[in-house]
Amino acid sequence: MSNRISTILAFVIAVIMFVAAWFFMQSGDGASAPARAEAPVAAPKEVPIDSTRCVASTEWMKSHHMQLLNQWRHDSVREGNRTYATPDGRHFDKSLNTCLGCHASNPMFCFMCHEYANVKPTCWNCHISPMEATK
Amino acid sequence: MNQQRRDFLRKAGLGALAGIGAAAGMLPLFALEKTDMTVFTDKPVPGKVRWGMLVDTRKCREGCNECVVRCHHDHNVPDFGKSKNEVKWIWKSRYEEAFPTASKQFQSPDVENRNVLTLCNHCAEPPCTRACPTEATFRRWDGIVSMDYHRCIGCRFCMAACPYGSRSFNWQDPRPAVKELSATYPTRERGVVEKCNFCSERLVKGQLPACVESCAGNALTFGDLNDPGSELRKMLAANETMQRKPELGTLPSVFYII
Ligand code: SF4
Ligand code: SF4
Repeated sequence: MSNRISTILAFVIAVIMFVAAWFFMQSGDGASAPARAEAPVAAPKEVPIDSTRCVASTEWMKSHHMQLLNQWRHDSVREGNRTYATPDGRHFDKSLNTCLGCHASNPMFCFMCHEYANVKPTCWNCHISPMEATK
Repeated sequence: MNQQRRDFLRKAGLGALAGIGAAAGMLPLFALEKTDMTVFTDKPVPGKVRWGMLVDTRKCREGCNECVVRCHHDHNVPDFGKSKNEVKWIWKSRYEEAFPTASKQFQSPDVENRNVLTLCNHCAEPPCTRACPTEATFRRWDGIVSMDYHRCIGCRFCMAACPYGSRSFNWQDPRPAVKELSATYPTRERGVVEKCNFCSERLVKGQLPACVESCAGNALTFGDLNDPGSELRKMLAANETMQRKPELGTLPSVFYII
């Protein structure tokens, strides 16, 4: 009799572990979903750089430019993987200078929004900001 | 222990093992972010290239400082003068400072008085990268010992580990001490270590390092040590050369003709 109870208990424990594992997987998956949507794909070196449009939509860049810059820094500084391809097949150098290539035309581009959002990124402690570059 | 309890434990254990096994099998499928391997095709092959330099001290002119000025300008190296705050990427050392363990007995006065160009050796076995607790300094795929200033916490372990004094610490904000801001490279901030980067920002554009380009006397040769056909390797084969403190086993990538 008690032998059967123990079998049942063991089964119950196994089921609980399955459920817990499944739950854990779900949460991990959900959190990483937005970043993955824009994951870079491989790009051949020869392709000329097209910078007539931004690397991603304005909306996405507004909320994710810091993640993108972080990823670019990691790829280019530590991996030497410098080419970023957008999902629609345009190619960019993974560098802050790629961004500044266009956005430096408005020296206040970064500052206006950071001021408004009251965030103080440390980028310009070292990188030459568009304000200084145009000085 | 009674038999039932033993049975129970055995079965519970089996259940747990099955659970772990199943979870381990399923985890890579769902829990972790999917890795798209095509992303990495642009990645250079580590160790294929090893950048190196040969300094011909016979051609390096006395009193000329062209390479130092050019490098320090291009990389926004702050000028704190010859103080304890001094920051330098490339500089001239006296012969006995550059090669303290080389024999100096009855050395020719010409060599003894010679100023030798010194910079980070981009060692193949760099002690600095081993000392760094944050991997802020690391050996790159192309042999360059690189600095990721974003990660540097300013502990200066690397400075203690480097046997060549190649590293400088920013004791104070370097920005005001940069005379003419160059747009080609960022500055640093207070509390990080800096050193020569073999002009990795120029190499990626297919240009030679700034010092090599600026040398009017052609005293500097730059190239791939792993390519037997490179100009550098031919020069190394044709001349008697030295490395700094070779007995330490750091395998410097900078060579000298005395
Ligand atoms: S010379 Fe010094 S800083 Fe440069 S790689 Fe060797 S140990 Fe590191
Ligand atoms: S000072 Fe910076 S680079 Fe040097 S060991 Fe510490 S964290 Fe690493």
